[in-house]
Amino acid sequence: MLPFHGKRRLSNAFDALRPDLYRIAWSWCHDDTLAEDLVQETCLRALERSQQLRDLDRLRPWLLRIMANLHRDHYRRRRETVTLDEGDAEMASPEPGPVEQAERSATIVMVHRAIAGLNDDQRKVLTLVDVGGFSYAEVAEALEIPLGTVMSRLSRARAQLRARLAPQQMESPRLRRVK
Amino acid sequence: MSQRWKPGRLEEHDLHALLDGEIGNAEKVALLERLQHDDYQRNELCELRNLKEMVKTAYDDLPLPPSLQAGDDATDHSRTGYGLSWLWTTAASVLAVLAVIVGTGLERGTRPEAARMVLLDPDGKGARPALPGDEEMRIVFHVSGDDPEKSDEILHEVEEMLTTYGAQGRKLRIEIVAHGRGLAMLRQGLSTQKEKIAELSRRFPNLTFVACMNTVERLSVEEGVIVNLLPEAIPIHSGVAHVVKRQQQGWIYIQV
Repeated sequence: MLPFHGKRRLSNAFDALRPDLYRIAWSWCHDDTLAEDLVQETCLRALERSQQLRDLDRLRPWLLRIMANLHRDHYRRRRETVTLDEGDAEMASPEPGPVEQAERSATIVMVHRAIAGLNDDQRKVLTLVDVGGFSYAEVAEALEIPLGTVMSRLSRARAQLRARLAPQQMESPRLRRVK
Repeated sequence: MSQRWKPGRLEEHDLHALLDGEIGNAEKVALLERLQHDDYQRNELCELRNLKEMVKTAYDDLPLPPSLQAGDDATDHSRTGYGLSWLWTTAASVLAVLAVIVGTGLERGTRPEAARMVLLDPDGKGARPALPGDEEMRIVFHVSGDDPEKSDEILHEVEEMLTTYGAQGRKLRIEIVAHGRGLAMLRQGLSTQKEKIAELSRRFPNLTFVACMNTVERLSVEEGVIVNLLPEAIPIHSGVAHVVKRQQQGWIYIQV
């Protein structure tokens, strides 16, 4: 168990990391409530298991591993809970509501949709690198996959994104009809 | 990464590694020199850089929920006198509850904490504002008093609604959020509706009981009370914040 001052440092580190964790969680699920729950649950789990963390420098990948496991378990539970499944078990493409449409640019919504269309493995690697700014080694440690797998997933994810976000894909339906 | 890259044929991964700062300085210089003579790969790198920037920007301005903002627990600090973040106090409460639950043989399955600390909105529906034409009715009941008659009444009404909507094939989602004195409804030994809550939870997966952990913490810290929650109760940090969030999301709010 970490000593008291260690817990204080850990707690302070959580405070600093919460925005990043939320941004990453949101990029995984595009869901305010789920992202918030994931971050809170991650922090609680981390506190419960703080004795497992020997080096505070490893905090970020350690927290991400917890959050990735929670996210995976969440969707596993959904698949097992037939009565609660009301649609596709995969993450729904975030359909912007009227308010969201007004507040966000079309490009951002398009990027969100394109990322939502990736498979979960690719989405996690891409967002950890590009949104979270994690190194390949940290991503490999967090997701418990080889470094080479990080690189290949990242490469495939970006290739798919480029295809989805190609100029012709980003044109509005009206522009396409005019053509 | 710096050991992996070798001068020679430029591979796709090299561009990604260069873009992501995974290549050492000396190797980076060599790679950039090669790119000077390769228009195609240089253009590729430029497009990848634009893409990376686009992805990053798309998530830059997400508003952080109040419950996750630093300083949100300032009042808790002064109240508890611990000077710890809300995470610590909440975790301590959760652990205390779990410890009691385990101790009294109420855990379910091999991972009681996983079963208890479930994520709300397992299907993510609750995160979306209720929009015109959205056929699912969402109601949050806010229970803040400990009058057993009112608790009985609310459970009776909820049961009727869920039964009626179910029979008509209409979608209905209900959350009952208990905080303050209302937490008695979800406490072992105090709840007069223990069996009813268990029965309703079994019958209606679209009904959720939510317990405010701020209240649990306050009871344990200020009054020295060890709180045992019913197995159906889902702990959440702040019941009030949760109710406010639901209202913002377009749920119908009913105070009991």
